[in-house]
Amino acid sequence: MSNPSHALEAPIAEEETPSSLDEDAVERVSQGAPSWLSARRKHAWSVFEDTPLPSMRSEEWRYTDVSRVVDFADLQLATHGALAEDGSRPAGLAAAMDEDYAASGHTVLMDGAVVHVDLEPALAEQGVILTSLKSAVHEHGDLLEELLATEVVPPEEGKFEALNAALWTDGVLLYVPANVKLDLPIRATRWVSDPGSAVCTRTLIVAEPGSQVSYVEELLSEDFERRTLVSSAVEVIARDGARVQYVSIQRLGRGTFCQSAQRTLAYRDSTLDTLNVNLGGSVSRLDLNARLLGPGAHSDMLGLYFGDEDQHFDHNTSQDHVAPDTGSDLLYKGALDEHSRAAFRGIIRVHPDAQRTDAYQTNRTLLLSEEARADSLPNLEIEADDVKCSHGASVGQLDSEALFYLLSRGLSQQQAERLVVLGFLGDVMSRLPLGGVVDKVTRAIERKLKSV
Amino acid sequence: MPENELVKGLGLDEYQYGFVDDEAHVFRTRPGLDEDIVRQISKHKDEPEWMLEFRLKALKIYERKPMPTWGGDLSDLEATLDEIYFYVKPQDHMERSWDDVPDTIKTTFERLGIPDAEQKLLAGVGAQYESEMVYHSLKEEWSSQGVIFDSIEDGLKNHPELFREHFATIIPAADNKFAALNSAVWSGGSFVYVPRGVELKTPLQAYFRVNQERMGQFERTLIIIDEGAQAHYIEGCTAPVYSTESFHSGVIEIVLKKDARFRYTTIQNWSNNMYNLVTQRAVVNENATMEWLDGNLGSKLTMKYPSCYLMGEGAHGEIMSIAYASDGQHQDTGGKVVHVAPNTTSSIISKSISKGHGRSSYRGLCKVYEGAINARSNVECDALLIDETSRTDTYPYIEIEEKRSSVGHEATVSRVGDAQLFYLMSRGLTQEEAMALIVRGFIEPIAKELPLEYAVELNRLIELEMEGSVG
Repeated sequence: MSNPSHALEAPIAEEETPSSLDEDAVERVSQGAPSWLSARRKHAWSVFEDTPLPSMRSEEWRYTDVSRVVDFADLQLATHGALAEDGSRPAGLAAAMDEDYAASGHTVLMDGAVVHVDLEPALAEQGVILTSLKSAVHEHGDLLEELLATEVVPPEEGKFEALNAALWTDGVLLYVPANVKLDLPIRATRWVSDPGSAVCTRTLIVAEPGSQVSYVEELLSEDFERRTLVSSAVEVIARDGARVQYVSIQRLGRGTFCQSAQRTLAYRDSTLDTLNVNLGGSVSRLDLNARLLGPGAHSDMLGLYFGDEDQHFDHNTSQDHVAPDTGSDLLYKGALDEHSRAAFRGIIRVHPDAQRTDAYQTNRTLLLSEEARADSLPNLEIEADDVKCSHGASVGQLDSEALFYLLSRGLSQQQAERLVVLGFLGDVMSRLPLGGVVDKVTRAIERKLKSV
Repeated sequence: MPENELVKGLGLDEYQYGFVDDEAHVFRTRPGLDEDIVRQISKHKDEPEWMLEFRLKALKIYERKPMPTWGGDLSDLEATLDEIYFYVKPQDHMERSWDDVPDTIKTTFERLGIPDAEQKLLAGVGAQYESEMVYHSLKEEWSSQGVIFDSIEDGLKNHPELFREHFATIIPAADNKFAALNSAVWSGGSFVYVPRGVELKTPLQAYFRVNQERMGQFERTLIIIDEGAQAHYIEGCTAPVYSTESFHSGVIEIVLKKDARFRYTTIQNWSNNMYNLVTQRAVVNENATMEWLDGNLGSKLTMKYPSCYLMGEGAHGEIMSIAYASDGQHQDTGGKVVHVAPNTTSSIISKSISKGHGRSSYRGLCKVYEGAINARSNVECDALLIDETSRTDTYPYIEIEEKRSSVGHEATVSRVGDAQLFYLMSRGLTQEEAMALIVRGFIEPIAKELPLEYAVELNRLIELEMEGSVG
């Protein structure tokens, strides 16, 4: 396990020249890798080449014209990130990290490379693993060979999943042994500084039976002139009786296309909750699939988004109830100002054997400006009869009664509107019992509201 | 109550309309479809040149458009379409008196109870057999006020300007593959015009019957409700049960002028070998109200999404639908509301019941364009599952471009609860009676909108269907 120090270590990065996204790049990232990994990357690349760019004619990409967002020929694979010689951090990264540092462990990624890892020594002694994927390839090869980019987020899922599986440069492995419980979350901070690049990273979280862990990651960058792709593949596995929370807070700068493919596998009696907060980026696309695989498994799926200028959010979620006696509850809420736009497409699938499923899905969007636009498509596909399923979607404007009340108490229009928006979004955060995260997200939304 | 006569024609009863008459036609095209067939249809109808051109153009669009890959399973349809008769002409002229309708056809409609119902309850009746309307009549009271209720062919012949002003403007041939197909081979259907301010007190009713095996029916209906006018149109469909598949693809275009009010009720009870792919759309102008009441009980696969385009300020659209899917049936139905003008309102209420291996899917769209200020829409879908093998899906599209609007969608899925059943049975009901009572309660909000006679029959149908369904 790496040295648990709170100072950022000197980077391990070597000088590299930029490389376009092609077969040579696959060779380059495969250097020194075991043969199973090289073969897997090669296979993923062939899937990438055989898969056309998703078009708006497909149901899943109906609301995002990705051909206007990404041009693979124009992107270069991110060079390995490195800290400055004196170890100082970019201001935005430092601010985010210092804001709230309490954690069981930290990792920092710059432009697709892990530059820092620390973990409570007591946890390391109990067998918890927090490390970069790059080193895990050698140190925990068996685990990765079994799980990385195989059943959880395989390249066959789509164009971007294939790209990521072929060209990921680094990422994070978090492994929690059976019955080990972490009181404080693991924090990951990801900084992107390389405009015009494709930053492809992966996260693999494995919680063994009876364990408990929260993982909170934050994505940050400056605004870029050049279009930049930030691609993530997130694989989360909760074995029997484990409790896992995965939180992603996306505050990338403008000019970035944030693409994230996440899949969670929840086995018997486990709880696997996710929260995706999307505030930044020019375009962000989330594909989140929750799979309930064992009786008693439950997933809460929370989402928050706040758009301004010409931001575009596209959320594509699915809840697969495969085993009987499982539950899931999805709540995605957002507010859209100026020319921003959000699409939500969600589906609950109750498989034929999944009797006594309890599944819910709600998407609510507030339109704050004349030019904002929201599309919502909450789907149900139910093949078992003894189920409780419902979904709801609404699009509307600020609650005029609440506004009127606040105005009558002497608040200005702007203050009142901000409060109503925060209240509207707040009921998502109230469902996530992670104090530090709630404060952080609330502050981020407040900052965004102030700039409006 | 004269309910039996009226509802018989809708087949809202144990499926006793599977009977077959001897084939009675004066002409039919050979099976399959090509340009020559389209020309033959047009020639038999003695159409103006522009209509032939319209049909041929539509045929090209149909051939170009791919089969839809969403919705129901259409993989066997292409083969079916190669074998069916696209045009079967049952008699030489349309009649105004039942006495003149050929005996075999007349007997069919008598068995369906239509002439009786006409006498007692309806403002007018149209009856289509295979590809043509064989009978059309409107009571003197209404024709004297300028109401037109005719076959679509006579609409084209006798009212060419009114016809051409609206025909295919609401559903152009290129709208979708099956609208294109209908545009190429349409035959039969109604032409309705209700003049300004006229309020029809009793419904107009059209019956569609397919008798010929491997037959395609492509009725085309155009309805124009002028300013301040009111009417109600009821459509019922039945067919014999053959082992081969048949095909029905209608196009229904409706225009509501300012302040008009119109309800279109469909009770679709095709036999279980029928593909039923229908495009229905209403353009709703200022302060007008359009209501679709859509009951889908029969067919093998139905894909039908009645639409309201709310084009004028204050327009209102309502879609109420019941779908019932039993073994071997897929009801892929729903509705679309498109808000274009300010202060428009709409509501969709959909109830579906899936039984055995049946599958019902709600598919709908609520779209609010920028500028449709204060548009309000509410969509509610409830699905009831009777058996472990039943399936239900919900696919509601919500697309909102206007901030000053409010749109909501809610859907629930449930099964008949053991506790409900137990309670009713403890009160002395048999399990089947209890099941029927629960299902009736479930569809009651829509059933109560039906004319009383239909509601009574719908309840009877559900009782019949529930027999032996509880295991």
